[in-house]
Amino acid sequence: MAKLSISCKEATKFISQKEESKLSFKQRVQLLAHLGICGLCKMFAKQNKIIVNASKHLHEHITETLSETDKRSMIEKLENS
Amino acid sequence: MPKADANKWVNDYSDMLYRFALPRVNDAELAKDLVQETFLAAWRNAENFKGEISEKNWLFTILKNKIIDHYRKASTRLTENFSDRATEDNFFDEENHWEKNAYPKDWKADDTKNIETKEFYEVLEKCKAKLKEIQNTVFSMKYFDGFESEEICKELGITPSNYWVLLHRAKLQLRSCLEKNWFIK
Repeated sequence: MAKLSISCKEATKFISQKEESKLSFKQRVQLLAHLGICGLCKMFAKQNKIIVNASKHLHEHITETLSETDKRSMIEKLENS
Repeated sequence: MPKADANKWVNDYSDMLYRFALPRVNDAELAKDLVQETFLAAWRNAENFKGEISEKNWLFTILKNKIIDHYRKASTRLTENFSDRATEDNFFDEENHWEKNAYPKDWKADDTKNIETKEFYEVLEKCKAKLKEIQNTVFSMKYFDGFESEEICKELGITPSNYWVLLHRAKLQLRSCLEKNWFIK
């Protein structure tokens, strides 16, 4: 019989690979079985989703701007190029 | 190209382009340089701009290419000592189960309201900025730009197995940083 159990390290990596449907049938079963018995990895899976979704929206929340000095120097460089 | 356009370009688009580049390279100076190079490249090719896409999209296309170029150049340097880094993994014990002090804690985040705030995204940006450059590159290409792993491996010249390790570590670090600085303070 093939080895069914995987470690937490493997399980958490499988979670990312699953997003891209990169798991074999056996790996999917292994991941499901692991998540069935491991509360920590289950929590990781949930948190992974939060991180991935939030990251996709991060750009909407970035507020940094260039300084006026930087902008003036950009304009000058363009005009002198 | 009339003088007024340089002003208009920089005033209309520089912050937008800068905010696009910044989280992708995690380096303010570099992000600024990439924006400057984008404007210069656009300036030199202004007569070839046919107006088939908007000026804004055109500038973004140039910037995206500059960022990918930067990733490509940087990846050779960044992956050279890749194998050395495998040892600094302290999230798992020798059995590859969670290290006790790295146990994920319950974020109690079923109510997603508290993470849709400006403050949360500031913490996320700071946590992301702490990633190693190559981890940040992989993570940004995947989740900002939506590249598939094959494309990322090809662009960066890394193996799929390296790619998954890098993405995995990026997520473990982000998770732990967000937990400490936002969810369970």
